[in-house]
Amino acid sequence: MSHYELLLTHIGTILHLQYLIPLVAGTAIGVIGGALPGVTITMTVIMVLPFTFGLDPLQGLAAMTGVYVGGSAGGSITASLLGIPGTPSAVATTFDGFPMARKGEPGRAVWVGVWSALLGGVLGGICLIELTGPFASIALVFGPWEFFSLFVFALSMVAGLVGKSVTKGLLSGAIGLVVTVVGPDPILGVQRLTMGLNFLEGGLPFLPVLIGVFAFAQLMPDVEQIRPTGQDHASVAPKRMSLQVSMLGTLWEVLSRPFLLVWSTLVGVLIGVLPAIGGSAANIMAYDQAKKFSRRPEKFGTGIPEGIIASESSNNANVAGSLMMIMAFGIPGDAVTAVMMGALTIHGIQPGPLFITQHPGVAYGIYAAYIVALPLMVLVIWLGARFWLRIIMMPKAILIPIVLVLCVIGAYALSNTMNDVYVLALFCVIGYAMVKGRIPLAPLILGVVLGDQIESNLIRALATDPDPWLFFTRPISGGLIAASVISVIFAMWQHSREAKRAAAGPEEEEDTDF
Amino acid sequence: MTRLLTLAGIMLLGAMGGNAFAASYPDRAIKMIVPWAAGGDTDVIYRALAPLLQKHLGQAVVVANVKGASGTVGEREAASAKPDGYTIFAPHDYIHSVYYAGLTDIKYDKAFDPVCLVSATPSVITAGAKTPWKSFKELVEFAKANPGKVKAGASLGSTSQYSLALAAKAAGIKFTYVPYDGTAPRMNALLGGHIDIADSNLTQKGKVDAGLLRFLAIMTEKRNPEMPDVPTLKELGYDVEYAVNRGLMVPKGTPADVKTKLGDACQKATQEPEFAKAMKLQGTEVRYMNAEQYTAFLAKDDKITKDLTKDLGMLKRE
Repeated sequence: MSHYELLLTHIGTILHLQYLIPLVAGTAIGVIGGALPGVTITMTVIMVLPFTFGLDPLQGLAAMTGVYVGGSAGGSITASLLGIPGTPSAVATTFDGFPMARKGEPGRAVWVGVWSALLGGVLGGICLIELTGPFASIALVFGPWEFFSLFVFALSMVAGLVGKSVTKGLLSGAIGLVVTVVGPDPILGVQRLTMGLNFLEGGLPFLPVLIGVFAFAQLMPDVEQIRPTGQDHASVAPKRMSLQVSMLGTLWEVLSRPFLLVWSTLVGVLIGVLPAIGGSAANIMAYDQAKKFSRRPEKFGTGIPEGIIASESSNNANVAGSLMMIMAFGIPGDAVTAVMMGALTIHGIQPGPLFITQHPGVAYGIYAAYIVALPLMVLVIWLGARFWLRIIMMPKAILIPIVLVLCVIGAYALSNTMNDVYVLALFCVIGYAMVKGRIPLAPLILGVVLGDQIESNLIRALATDPDPWLFFTRPISGGLIAASVISVIFAMWQHSREAKRAAAGPEEEEDTDF
Repeated sequence: MTRLLTLAGIMLLGAMGGNAFAASYPDRAIKMIVPWAAGGDTDVIYRALAPLLQKHLGQAVVVANVKGASGTVGEREAASAKPDGYTIFAPHDYIHSVYYAGLTDIKYDKAFDPVCLVSATPSVITAGAKTPWKSFKELVEFAKANPGKVKAGASLGSTSQYSLALAAKAAGIKFTYVPYDGTAPRMNALLGGHIDIADSNLTQKGKVDAGLLRFLAIMTEKRNPEMPDVPTLKELGYDVEYAVNRGLMVPKGTPADVKTKLGDACQKATQEPEFAKAMKLQGTEVRYMNAEQYTAFLAKDDKITKDLTKDLGMLKRE
C-alpha cells in the first residue's frame, strides 16, 4: 500500500505552487500547441525545454508532462471544430467530431472529446501505476516479426475504413503506402521514385502530408461556398449553432459506454507502450475497433459520440503507455518522451530500469504530475471554451486564410526547411482532388503511418533470420497475422450487410466518406 | 510561441535578402542543422552546445533537426545552404562512411569547411543479458566457433556499425548486422534479446547496473573511471580505439573571418564548465580541436573508414 501512499504524498507535492505553476503553464501551452494544426506536441515540448533548464528536475518534468497531456487533448478541438487534426493523434476525431460540429453541435463534439480524453487518461494512469512492469515486459517481447505483423494488422483496418466504395478505399490506402516509398529507403538510404527532384530526396515527411491532406481538403469545400458579395457567413455556417452544452450530459454520454471506453483505453496503452508508432496509429485503430464492435457501424462517420470517444480516450491513454517505457526501461516510446528523457539527462538523472528505485521522488512526481494534469486540462479547456467555440462562428473568409497560414508556418517549423512546405503544397492538391473524387482520406493516413514501419521491420526480421515462417510460428506474430485476416473478413461481412440494408432502405444518405 | 516568433523573424530577415556583411556577422539568428531526430544522442549533445555558442556569438542559435536516411538528408541541406555562416552543420563521424557506403554522393571535404571538434563519445561493446557471454573473450570464442551467428544491431553504414566492425576485424571474427537506427531502438532490441550485441556508450550504465545489459569492452585508450570494471580492447590485446566525434562545419565558401568568429565562439563554448558537465552526463568527453587540427583529424578518420568499408564489402565509391 506504500505505493499509493507515495503517490498521494507526491500529488500533495505537485499541488504546491512551485510545481503547480509549471504544470498549469505546461498544460495550457500544450492545449494551444496541440490545437494549432502543424504544431505538434513534440515541437511544443522542445519549445518548453529550454525554460525548464533553470528549474529543478521535477518542475521541468511537470511542465513537460502538462504539455504532453494538454497537447493530446488540444488536438481534438481543432479536429472537431475545423476538421483538421491539431496533432496526428487526433486524426480519427475528425471522422465523427467534425460532422457533429457541422450538424450544429460543436460544443457537444468538443466536450465528448474532452471527457473521453480525461477518462481515457485516468484509466491509462491506473495502468501506468499498476501495470508498468508487465506491460513493459510485453513490449520487449516484440521483435521485428511481431512489429511487422502488428502493423500488417493495423493496415488490415483499411478494410474497415473504406467508406462506401471498397475500390476507392483501397486506392487511398495504396497512395499512402506509395508515399512512404518515395525518397531514401529506411535502411541504406537508396533513393526511390525521386525523379531527380531535389525536394523529394528527403522523402515525404508524415506531418506535412497529414496537414496538407486534411487542411486543404476540409477547408476548400467551405471556400467554394463563400459568396463574393460578402453575405457568405450565413450560408456557410450551420443553421442552428449551439455553443451551449450540458457538461454533465456529455460526460454521461461517455460514461454510459464503459466497454467502449475501457477497450479504446487498452488499445491506446498497448500501442503507446510499443516504441514505434504511438498516438498517430492508436486513435485510428481504436476507431476501427469501435466500429467493429458497434451495433450501428453504418452510423460511424456521421457525427456520433462513439467515434470521438474511441479516438480521444485511446490517444490520451497512449500518453500513459509511452511513459511506461521510460519508467520501466528508460526507453522513450515516442518523440515526445524522447525529448523528456533528454531533459532528465540534462538534469543529471539517467532514466533506466533502476529509475524508480534510485529516484523515487522524480518517478512518483511524474505519476503525480500526470494525474494532476488531467483535471487541469479539463479546466484549461473549460476556461477557454468560449474562445474555442467562437472560432467556428468566425466568417470563413477570415478564418480559412489564418488557418492555412498557420499550417504553412507549422510545416516550415517542423525542421526549419522549405522542403516541408513544398510537400505540404503537393498534398493540399492531392487531398483536395481526393475529396472531389470522393476518395476517403483515412486509409491514406494509415498507409503513410505504417508503410515505413512495415518495411523496416520486414528487413530487420529477415536480416536477423532469413526464415520467413517465423512470422507465422512465433506465437504473437502468428496471432496478429490471424487477427488481420479475421479483421478483413469481418469488415467485408459488415460492409456487405450495410450495403444490403442500404439497398433495402428507402433512400441513400449523402456520402459521408472520411 | 517564442520559437515561432524567432522563426518568423528569420524568415522575414531572409526575405529582406539580408546579404550580411561579414564585418557585422552575426546580425541575425544562426541555424544549426542536426541531421538526426530530436532527443537522440547527437541532438542532446548539440542542444547543450547551442546556448553556449549563442552566448559567445551574441545571436540566437536555433537547432533544426533535419533527420532521415542515416543523416544524409540534413547533410544535403547543409551542403546546399548559402555559405554565409548563418547555417552551420552539426554532424558526427558518419559523414565518412555514408559516402563510401554509397548512401550519399557528398564528400565532406568537398562540401564543408571544418570549424571545430567539440566532443568524443567512446564506444562500448554491449551485450544483452540473455546472451551467455560475460566477457569480450567469450564473445570472440563463440563467434569463431559459430561464424555469422552473432547478431549485431547497428545503423548500417554509420558509426554504430563501424565501431563493431573495427573490433571484429581486430579479433578476426564476423558479425551479422541487423539494421536498428538509433541507440534507443538498439537497446530495446538488446533487452528483448532480438539482437545479441550493439554499440552503446556510458549513458546505458543504468541498465548495466540493473543486470539487463553487459558492457563487454570499452574502445578507449584507458579504462573509464565511471566504469572501472570494464576492460579496454587495448588491454585485451586488440589495438583499436573508437569514439563518435562531433564537431561543427560550415558550407564550403564561407568567408574566412566568419569562420574565425565561429571558431572562437566554439572554443569558448567548449571551455564552459557547463558544457563539461552536460557532456559527462552523456557519457562523453569534451574534445576541442581548432579548424586546422580538426581538418587533419577528419582526413585520418576518412582513410580508416574507407579501408573498413572495403573490409565490410560495402565500398561503393572511391
